[in-house]
Amino acid sequence: MEFIYYFGDVFTPLSLMLLLGGTIGGLILGATPGLSPTMAVALLIPFTFQLEAAQGLILLGAAYTSTVAGGAVSAILLKIPGAPANIATTLDGHTMAKNGEGARALQLSFLASAVGGIFGVLLLIFLTPVLAKWALAFGPSHLFWLAILGVTVISTLDSASVVKGLLSGCIGLWLATIGFDDIMGAQRFIFHPALGGGINIIAALIGLFAIPQVLTMFAKGRGNDGAEVIEVQRHSIMAAIRELFSRTRALSIGTLIGSIIGLIPGVGGQIAGLVAYDQTKKFSPEKDKFGTGHPEGVIAAEAANNAMVGPSLVPLLTLSIPGSPTAAVLLGGLLIHGIFPGSDLFDNHPDVAWTFINSMLIGQVLMCIFGLYVAGLAARVAQVPQSVMVAIVLALSVFGAYSVQSSMGDVYVMACLGIGMFFLERFGFSAAPLVLGLILGPIAEANFIQGSMIADATDGKAAYFMTGGLNLFLIVVVIASIAYSVWMELRHSRYTTKEEAQA
Amino acid sequence: MKQLIAGAAFALTALTGAATADEYPERPIMMMVSYGAGGATDFQARIVTMTAGNEDALGMPIAIINKPGAGGRVGWNWFATQADSDGYTLAAYNVPHFIAQSIKGGVEYSTDSFEPIANWGADPAVFVVDADSPFNSMEDVVAYSKENPGKLTVSGAGLFVGHHIAALQIDKAAGTKMAYIPTKGGGAAAMKAVIAGEVMGGINNLSDAFRAQEAGNVKILGVADLERSAFLPDVPTMMEQGLEVDNSSVNFRGVMVPKGTPPEVIEKLAITVPEMFANSRVSKKMEAGGSPMHIMTRDEVIEMWGQRQQTLNELLAGL
Amino acid sequence: MNRSQHIFGSGLVFAVGLWVTWVSYTQQPAEAFLFPRLIASVFVVLAGWTFGKAVMGLSKVGNGVSRTMFVNMLPGLFVTLVYIFWAAKSLGFYTATAIAFFILLSMYDPTPHSVAKSWIKRGIITTIFVAIMYGLFAMLLNVYTPKEILF
Repeated sequence: MEFIYYFGDVFTPLSLMLLLGGTIGGLILGATPGLSPTMAVALLIPFTFQLEAAQGLILLGAAYTSTVAGGAVSAILLKIPGAPANIATTLDGHTMAKNGEGARALQLSFLASAVGGIFGVLLLIFLTPVLAKWALAFGPSHLFWLAILGVTVISTLDSASVVKGLLSGCIGLWLATIGFDDIMGAQRFIFHPALGGGINIIAALIGLFAIPQVLTMFAKGRGNDGAEVIEVQRHSIMAAIRELFSRTRALSIGTLIGSIIGLIPGVGGQIAGLVAYDQTKKFSPEKDKFGTGHPEGVIAAEAANNAMVGPSLVPLLTLSIPGSPTAAVLLGGLLIHGIFPGSDLFDNHPDVAWTFINSMLIGQVLMCIFGLYVAGLAARVAQVPQSVMVAIVLALSVFGAYSVQSSMGDVYVMACLGIGMFFLERFGFSAAPLVLGLILGPIAEANFIQGSMIADATDGKAAYFMTGGLNLFLIVVVIASIAYSVWMELRHSRYTTKEEAQA
Repeated sequence: MKQLIAGAAFALTALTGAATADEYPERPIMMMVSYGAGGATDFQARIVTMTAGNEDALGMPIAIINKPGAGGRVGWNWFATQADSDGYTLAAYNVPHFIAQSIKGGVEYSTDSFEPIANWGADPAVFVVDADSPFNSMEDVVAYSKENPGKLTVSGAGLFVGHHIAALQIDKAAGTKMAYIPTKGGGAAAMKAVIAGEVMGGINNLSDAFRAQEAGNVKILGVADLERSAFLPDVPTMMEQGLEVDNSSVNFRGVMVPKGTPPEVIEKLAITVPEMFANSRVSKKMEAGGSPMHIMTRDEVIEMWGQRQQTLNELLAGL
Repeated sequence: MNRSQHIFGSGLVFAVGLWVTWVSYTQQPAEAFLFPRLIASVFVVLAGWTFGKAVMGLSKVGNGVSRTMFVNMLPGLFVTLVYIFWAAKSLGFYTATAIAFFILLSMYDPTPHSVAKSWIKRGIITTIFVAIMYGLFAMLLNVYTPKEILF
């Protein structure tokens, strides 16, 4: 309960101002395509040079929570996920926006973010010592199996055909191997200099989601806009709150999965949203509604995204090991003030530690309030004429892809992947599994190689990868997941043949 | 007509030439870091460049751009082949990383592709073990490694980076064979492997290891440098423990520009940048973060690069 | 109806799969290609399966690209390609963006081109948008973009 004692520090005028600034700035930066939360926080580091340690961290903490939530804005309205965390949000969120339910989608997303986020931070406050052990429990073999588990999720995610879903995933896994191999340093599949650095995940995300959309709008052609005007439905905040708590299954699955997966160093933040989405879909009696603008999809994905924020800092705050790139940047923010995370932080600078954590708690609430305030306004984006929309999305994609590393090469990669994806989508392939492959490929590969090296020096590959409670548990889940996919495929083929017979 | 164009072109080059000499820099400068945001190199680069905008320094801010991947190869390849050599694109170098990689091959750069400007830091590699480990000195480590050849797992931030060089030197000096496990994700991932008990020991940056020791997570057994570190006065060097390991693995960090940058610009940078590093605000922040400073001028860096090239050529010849 | 399109599309994916497999199994060093080999093997089998289904006319998902769609798309795609692969770098980022933005706006705006007011409106939208982009990326985020000939 120590944290309550330090709540006062958050409410000094300067702290409050920083908190507000960080939240609003974070929302804007988060909604900007191409700026991942990591980059946004890194950009703010210089501002903290002038501030006291606790105040600097208030700014960073508020910015971190709100950039993660802000990513949902462009994901829902423009179908440009700002970071891997927001991929799952596009699946149902953008469809809702196209149906005129943008306000509802945004409100639900901010509310779910706040609920998930607060839960995550509370976990950080009360269970840090327990969670730290859990975060360290994942060695290379477990991370490898976890990535494989992610791959098996691919087949059932947002794809009408299981085989094509898996094939999309394979294309993603292959794309991830382009560039320098991380451990050996060998060059692989570099057929153009722009690919020397491999495919940047943020640029790829923008290309794969935004460009097919641009081309689809082109394909509709000029004119007949009259029929396309979307009526933006107003949606009251109270109704959104009521809806959120009536969909407790999605909310609780999202929150729990987000907090658990968010803990795992290196993997968590990227796939928390997708795994939560997938699990909510599997446990839902209305599976077929997912992907067609089902609010539960948005709730699960966003609750998971923000629930991951708190736990993702556990390894950093307790063991001084940054578990995610964003945590690494926050570590920098602490170090310049001479504060070392770990026992030093809680013993000698409790004011800094707890003010930081409290600021994330308050940040969640502020983020939610501002988010709800702009949701109604922002949803009007759907009313923007298609000609304007297409130009905006294209230009934003180009700027977003460029600004990641100030590199034209990334823009070329973004455009090529996007145009390719448009045609692939027309043939029943989908972008989400492809991106999941792109994210998980390097994780699976690096951990496999690292694990094999450790195994070769110790007790052999089979013993290393196949024994131990956690390994066995993950293997069982992988097998169950594959069995589920096969069952779905069988059911699916029966379903389609029946449909065809009717037609 | 032709003459006219030639005249115009001449006038233009003369104009721009004059501009680079006197007015450089006239717009913000970009500095490429070939490791991810939040890594030790990125963190230090952000601190040492924070005063660039001051009038007594460059008068223009330096923006950091991260191009991570493959232990730095991605960024330095880009820098050697695609970066503009107009003085507005700088990069951070890590020695011995890029020199070792260029000797090993498969990259498009070598010491000849870059012009050093100045060095800001020197971070020695240290040998760390988990706080509960039975090893208490390098002697214990070497003894175990001799009894169990190839069984002692040691993590480090990648192949052909400072940590790997230190591991190779320890092996060479003690006549052992450790199982070096490169991790993806820099020193932090290698440190996590040690603390989580995935590996038996690790080689890591002094700055990160110092922090981990303060947090009570690891023991530091030896420093791979010529002298003890001011941060760790109680930890003996490898040499003191009877291992012939010099400072070849010390991670020198500094600023460089691509070959072909105008000499006036290099000269201006070579004078201004070391002064910028020496700023007291910079050194205070660096010290607070546990990052050892070591400022070297352009000439000193050129000499250091040459020495490293030679030692690494010998060390890596057998691999 | 779009069987030939499906054959073409999945054939292309299959061809990429074959190429990836070939590269993975022939390139050195072998250790670095261990993982690509694994992926390529699954990739090529799945791609072959999809291709086979397409040839037999069993592809059910995906509607292909219709002729009207393609014709509608072509000018926009052309502007996009010129903008990204040539203009952005050669004309300067913001100039290219402004031009491409304006052209796309005009091309896909349903208002007749004879209405002078619509041109002014498009010009204003373009100016505002580019100004916002400049403020956000150049001034706030300090992103250095290629300036080249113009701006």
